[in-house]
Amino acid sequence: MNRHHFVKCLPAAIMVALLSYGCAQQSQMPPTAAKPAVEQEAKKAAMKYTGKIVGKSNKAKVVSVAVGKGAAKKVVMVKFDEATKGIKFAKKGTAAIIFWEQRGADKYATVIKPKLAKLPAGVTEIKTEELAELLENNTALTLADARPIARYHKGHLPGAVSIPVPALKKKKAALLPKDKDELLIFYCGGPT
Amino acid sequence: MSTKNAGLAHKLGYSNVRVYLDGEPKWIEEGYVTDASDQFVKTGNIVLIDLREGDAPREGRIPRSVQVPYEELEARSKDIPRNAPIVVYGANDEDVQDAIDDLHDDGYRYVSKVTGNWTGWLKKGNPVESGPIFSNEISWVRKLGPGEVSVAEFRAATEGKYPDVFIIDARTPEEIKERGIFQNTVNIPLDMIAKSFSKIPKDKRNAGFLSLLHPMQKDDL
Repeated sequence: MNRHHFVKCLPAAIMVALLSYGCAQQSQMPPTAAKPAVEQEAKKAAMKYTGKIVGKSNKAKVVSVAVGKGAAKKVVMVKFDEATKGIKFAKKGTAAIIFWEQRGADKYATVIKPKLAKLPAGVTEIKTEELAELLENNTALTLADARPIARYHKGHLPGAVSIPVPALKKKKAALLPKDKDELLIFYCGGPT
Repeated sequence: MSTKNAGLAHKLGYSNVRVYLDGEPKWIEEGYVTDASDQFVKTGNIVLIDLREGDAPREGRIPRSVQVPYEELEARSKDIPRNAPIVVYGANDEDVQDAIDDLHDDGYRYVSKVTGNWTGWLKKGNPVESGPIFSNEISWVRKLGPGEVSVAEFRAATEGKYPDVFIIDARTPEEIKERGIFQNTVNIPLDMIAKSFSKIPKDKRNAGFLSLLHPMQKDDL
């Protein structure tokens, strides 16, 4: 059991962040956020990082957040203090938008907001209770797990098929049911 | 991401697309079970629990399973690390649901059931083992992630057995004052690391073997 303290070690945390499983995707982030902060940026009133919170140390008063995509993916650290608003949204594993300002050599978070998932046009949300009922009644539907396949193997909602985002992008409708009017439900690792 | 897939499907002409935004974590939180894929049951680094009682497992069981009847689950949980992925199957779905609820309550994070339970496994013609059971021991060991260091390796490094290794203790000075520091380590607090690259020797084995200690006590070694 001792061993699992090692999970708290930073390298492991960073590794996990880099693996980026679950739904955390920084794809909706403005491309500028992926670039390292440069001097000029400090002059702007509000800079922001958008991404998945990978760690928060109350002792060091620092939040680490995974930003960027692909090769530019990295973990950045932002300090916080009593004046930081919305520190409760810096919850490990969830996506957040961190507005920060440069103070000397450090970046300080001014406001932290949760990053809410936006529904694409023509798509509606379903809640646990309704989904459970549909499954219970064996309603004709396709339930698809959008997470990477390793996560699917470990445990998925009963009856779900695995359709990770990259697979759907590549193979398109070949992965989906023939009947385009049948109920099609996607889920992933939560609103991150 | 589910919303991304939903958007793609909608564009492909699917008219009835919905998203379960709360996702798998909420599903589990609400007390519903998840299914492990057969492949994971066959090859995953898991603790596979057969809840059936008496001689049932002797007559046929999933390879690598350990018989732990529901009544014994609590007593046996001391052998199962909390971070181990557990897959459960049994004589009926109620037993499986109860066992999974108990394991969740007990702090296990990754618990799923065999898809279709024991009968489903059989029906699909998946591999089955029978005959006497020689060991009912549970010995799950977590596989190290990329770049991760084992306790033994770390201990050896603090004992100075790897002269080419540089260990950073990333805790705050207050924490170190309170709990002490390992030998052969250098304290660079987490928030100072970015500014302290000059202190980190470049000829040492940093890449892949840079150990950043975080809240951890000497008792852990």
